[in-house]
Amino acid sequence: MVDFMKRALELASEALDAQEVPVGCVFTIGNTIVAESRNCVNVTRNPTRHAEINCIDFILEHCKANNIDYNTYFTNISVYVTVEPCIMCAAALQNLKVKEVVYGCANDRFGGKTVLDVSEFYVQYYELRGNLLAAEAMALLKQFYKGTNPNAPESKVRKKKDN
Amino acid sequence: MSIGIEPPTKKMKMILEDGDFIMKTIDKCIEDIDNSKNNLEPVLGDDFGETLQLVKVFVGITKDPKDLSKIVTTLNEKVPLKQLQHLKRVRKKKVILCPASYIIGASSIQQFIESTVMELQDSFQYFKEMDVPLTAPRLQKQFKEYNKIWSCNFHPNAYLEKLTSGDFFNSVDLNNHRTYMKMAFEVSRWYIQHSNIINSIDDVYKNINGAIVVDPTIQSVVAVSFDNRENNPIQHSAMLAIDNVAKTQNGGVWFETDYKSNEKLSVSDELLTYLKLKFPSVKFGSREYISKRDSATDECSKNSNDGPYLCTGYYVYLIREPCFMCSMALVHARAKRIFFCLDNIYFGALKSKTKLQTKSSLNHHFEVFTGFL
Repeated sequence: MVDFMKRALELASEALDAQEVPVGCVFTIGNTIVAESRNCVNVTRNPTRHAEINCIDFILEHCKANNIDYNTYFTNISVYVTVEPCIMCAAALQNLKVKEVVYGCANDRFGGKTVLDVSEFYVQYYELRGNLLAAEAMALLKQFYKGTNPNAPESKVRKKKDN
Repeated sequence: MSIGIEPPTKKMKMILEDGDFIMKTIDKCIEDIDNSKNNLEPVLGDDFGETLQLVKVFVGITKDPKDLSKIVTTLNEKVPLKQLQHLKRVRKKKVILCPASYIIGASSIQQFIESTVMELQDSFQYFKEMDVPLTAPRLQKQFKEYNKIWSCNFHPNAYLEKLTSGDFFNSVDLNNHRTYMKMAFEVSRWYIQHSNIINSIDDVYKNINGAIVVDPTIQSVVAVSFDNRENNPIQHSAMLAIDNVAKTQNGGVWFETDYKSNEKLSVSDELLTYLKLKFPSVKFGSREYISKRDSATDECSKNSNDGPYLCTGYYVYLIREPCFMCSMALVHARAKRIFFCLDNIYFGALKSKTKLQTKSSLNHHFEVFTGFL
């Protein structure tokens, strides 16, 4: 379990190197990693390309290529993600009925549990556990937010200060 | 041998009838949008609602009105009202001491005053519990109602007054919004006619959802999409629309292989031709995309108008109220306004099940409008 999260943290570090919000994720079945990815919203100009969404797409491709019913496949998946899934990802994972979600640190900006508990709106929901290598996950985020997002437009406040 | 052929023939007939039903439903919706006499309605937080939420507090009735200023200063310092800042502390001889929830178990308000603000223990004739407004008045008419119960602080906001007046959009704007919503239905019609999803027509009818993304600064359609959850469970129309916008900014990840696509708009040429025919006055295409890297090399453009960034400033028109995933995706995309036609009573996250746009902890808030029919 810890090893899965360590792999997710490696992926998060990769994201940081690529100037992306450092979040990494692995999907596992039993002892095997079946999908792994990291956040890539800046390079794709698509703010929904979170690590979890990339993994979901990977699994869907895999199922399609191998003629597997993805509905069943997802119910066996455990998700390890360095930061609590946001409301969007939590809803997507609920819809796909994954088995469980284990996260590193909580997400008090967008969290699908912390900000709005998405599970309240679904009949059957996955098991959610947090706080696995949370400090490491948080350290990466802090490192990222120390710098500024190079793709975001200049904030009006900052512009005023410069003038 | 004819037995083998029969079932598909039957199925085909059924499909055609169902397909016909969907087309008629689309026609009806477009007709209803055209005939609608009402302005669009904003979907606002509960604090704009008709029902006034109350909270219990303890008030003290002062013995001598001359002490009021000293009492208020002391209370504000030692027992601040925190979440109830919108309430004035004093109303005539009554002073709000604390929320009733501060008094736990068998202790009394008398004991609370004695232990917390001892210097005021003799200032009051008696105490009583009262219901007062839980939230700040946002609108003039709320302010009037709330004041009948307790005096409140209020900062009138002309924009909010206009937004809730029932007459927010002028006729030109309304016509634009309705046109784009009708286009979302036409996009659906086109996709239903041109793709293979027809074999699960029941689901299509339930899930039918098209999206139109508009840049209101140039009144132009930037992206369109149609729900594809039949093939990919996360490709709801809003998710696809966001990706199609990304494609106008040198990004995007989902590519339709079936259709030759128009890059500036990220829509197949065939669909674009169809839409232009149906809506001859509507403009298509995005503003020129300026990447950060390009603009940094060009000193002159540095302070000029930035190119589009995600869906910032864009309006998104959806047939159906977006689900939790899509609603949050639209927050991430920083869309400016969301318009939808039909409520999604099971998973709608902008009106039916929750109102994501009112969650103050989120970093972006869009406005939501409905009431097309």
